[in-house]
Amino acid sequence: MSAMAASRGRLAALAERAGHDSPLALARAHSVYAAFAVLIVIDLLFTPGFRNVFVIRNLLFAAAPVILVTLGQSLTIGTRGIDLSVGSAMGLAAAVMALALAGGAWLAVAAGVGAGLAVGLINGGLVAALDINPLISSLALLVAARGTAEALLDGSRVSLPEGGLFDVLGIGAVSVIPIVAIIAVIVAGLVAVMVRTTVFGRSLLFIGANKAAAILAGIKVRRTLLLVYAASGLLAGLAGVFAAARLGASDPNYIGVNYELDAIAASVIGGTPLSGGRVSILGGVAGVLLLQVLGASFIMNDINFSYAQILKALFIVAALYLQRAGG
Amino acid sequence: MAPILETRDVSKRFGAVQALRSVSFALNAGEVHGLVGENGAGKSTLIKILTGFYQPDGGAILLGGEPVHFDSPRASQRLGVSAVYQEINLIPERSVAENVFLGHEPKRFGVLIDRKRMDAEADELLRRYDLKIDPRARLGALGLGLQQMVSIARGVRLGARVVILDEPSSALTGAEVETLFRAVDRLKADGIAILFVSHRLSECYRLCDRLTVLRDGSVVASAATAELPRAALIGAMLGRSAESIHRVRPARVPREATPALETRGLRWRTRVRDVSFAVRPGEVVGLAGLLGAGRTETMKASFGAETKEAGEVRIAGGPVASPTPGRSIAAGLAFLSEDRRAEGIFPKLSVAENLAATALPALARFGFISRKKQDAMVARFTRALGIKAAGPGAPITSLSGGNQQKVLLARCLATAPRAIMLDDPTRGIDVGAKAEVHEAIHLLVEDGLGVLVTSSEMEELMALADRLVVLNEGAVSGALRTEGAAVQDVLDMLAAPHEDAPA
Repeated sequence: MSAMAASRGRLAALAERAGHDSPLALARAHSVYAAFAVLIVIDLLFTPGFRNVFVIRNLLFAAAPVILVTLGQSLTIGTRGIDLSVGSAMGLAAAVMALALAGGAWLAVAAGVGAGLAVGLINGGLVAALDINPLISSLALLVAARGTAEALLDGSRVSLPEGGLFDVLGIGAVSVIPIVAIIAVIVAGLVAVMVRTTVFGRSLLFIGANKAAAILAGIKVRRTLLLVYAASGLLAGLAGVFAAARLGASDPNYIGVNYELDAIAASVIGGTPLSGGRVSILGGVAGVLLLQVLGASFIMNDINFSYAQILKALFIVAALYLQRAGG
Repeated sequence: MAPILETRDVSKRFGAVQALRSVSFALNAGEVHGLVGENGAGKSTLIKILTGFYQPDGGAILLGGEPVHFDSPRASQRLGVSAVYQEINLIPERSVAENVFLGHEPKRFGVLIDRKRMDAEADELLRRYDLKIDPRARLGALGLGLQQMVSIARGVRLGARVVILDEPSSALTGAEVETLFRAVDRLKADGIAILFVSHRLSECYRLCDRLTVLRDGSVVASAATAELPRAALIGAMLGRSAESIHRVRPARVPREATPALETRGLRWRTRVRDVSFAVRPGEVVGLAGLLGAGRTETMKASFGAETKEAGEVRIAGGPVASPTPGRSIAAGLAFLSEDRRAEGIFPKLSVAENLAATALPALARFGFISRKKQDAMVARFTRALGIKAAGPGAPITSLSGGNQQKVLLARCLATAPRAIMLDDPTRGIDVGAKAEVHEAIHLLVEDGLGVLVTSSEMEELMALADRLVVLNEGAVSGALRTEGAAVQDVLDMLAAPHEDAPA
């Protein structure tokens, strides 16, 4: 009885620290971790072959680029915006990288990341300077960047050279943990610190929470928005490089397709509400892993892909429903 | 003859707020009846009851002498009450004629819209009101004024006997206002009753045959326009009779120094016209004026929250070429918005984050916010202003309105400004918090800040300010020292606009 009261008290204290008003809201806000844990336990118990280290490694390889685009997505959603262009920016980054191969692997990677940054800067320019709704500007770039990627490579796949940097990114791993996953987690840590401790991070939360108030408080709204979308593009560029390295080729019709949807779903499931003003980087990473494991579980249990998609959609809706009060 | 539309003892309560108390008033055929009152007086509630959006808690509505129930907006419209709002609720993408007949189109064979007949009938209707509008033109291509005329024409076409014009002229240009006035004259001649709601008193005096004043949900005056002089009307609106209320506190002696804040010939659209004033260090200047006189706009144009079209702003003597909020803050000016929710707090964020918002440049090194400096700043202001919160990490929305306001005041002070503009700083907060805000203002002034303040309560403004700058319809119409002055003196100045007096 008293133990229960004590734990209740601790929960309430936790809730206060997290800025929520009740233990229920706390549980909802952190449901992504609970759901992830439950899913892992179910898989370990029932899914044949889930314990295989190759499965885990593959999962993490697939998760790394999604984590990167989710980070950028969480920042834009934190400003009460959105970035639909991240998937296409990945495709463009991979295409530009393929064209720059002659200059060596490092230069090619830099060119790819630069292409993603360029998409982000254009997007941010449209949003910050011209006051265009980010849904529209990033939708335009979703189409334009994909089109440019296909045009650059004539719509065909270009193989990346074997060995060197591309092998490090494409197959390199420290025991079961791929190097790209380590990089993604380090970047996530940096972004989390940035959101929590920098003027830039604070400013983007202000803009998302109340743009009119942010303007009156003298926050550099335009500059912050430009940088947020630029960061999202930059991270998408790196994600495109990772995805192409994993595939061993730059394929403008394949790299990054529909990644924006997973990034938005992961951000929101992770506790970054679409209404802006709050960003949860750790939650976003957990959201990505959750969706990846879910997808893998469907495949490994031989669930037809069409049904798997429907189930995934139902899962996302259920997760968001549980979350809605926590947001 | 019975009035066309009448309310008898109509009351309405929202939670703890009594929005209307036994309101009785009558609208006669061929009459333009003005409804005036300050914000929160109950005008909108009354209109929403007359248009069927709200049901009264008590009392009766009579139409042509018969009791009626407007249980929906549709019912009210069907019985002949038509309302035209500032925000047009028609379809801008469709033609004028289509909008006039929206939902009641003339048909052929019962299904096809008879476009020819519709255009012809719309044309005839518009001509009758002296409106030179092509019925085939796209509604959205017309100016806002003409769109309102189309809205009126639609009401008449649907058989309106009562037309309610809710703040029709706020967004109109001079020529459009003239067109509106001509249409109103014509409606009157047709025997239609018009309820004219406006905060522009000169328009009310020009148009209305009769004026009814609401204050705190009650009718406080109702008379023929000729029998209700401006001073009496404003006194009724603000709740001050001719009795003299003198201020007792002696005026502060401002330091004879460079003004903390000064504007010269400030202009913004039609809302701020050639406004010049100066606030010296150590004095409180009150910006007085009725609703819509341009108090908020003057502050926002000075601060750079609105882009001024002409004029000069000097902060502590230094000119700010093209002010933006960021530049003004850096130059030593702070601004507290009247709208705490829409323009003040950052919901979802903590008390500390809300408080420190303007001070980030001072708290940060190389872009990283010093948690230690932030905590120290928050602790200092929490103590100084008596902010009651569970802790610096508590969500701002968990605080009472008064404490939220104190956090926002602290946000203004966190940049150590030379001058501060407080737009109705005690709006909607409880008495205790109000007194604390007053006390804070006195302390600031003693520290040598220049304070520009507004209030929706004239008495409060008189108590706070050393002198008043009076605004009327966007222009400075007078100035007054508050020491020894009575509220009535200010009311007289508000009532006598367009007198050229130096600020």
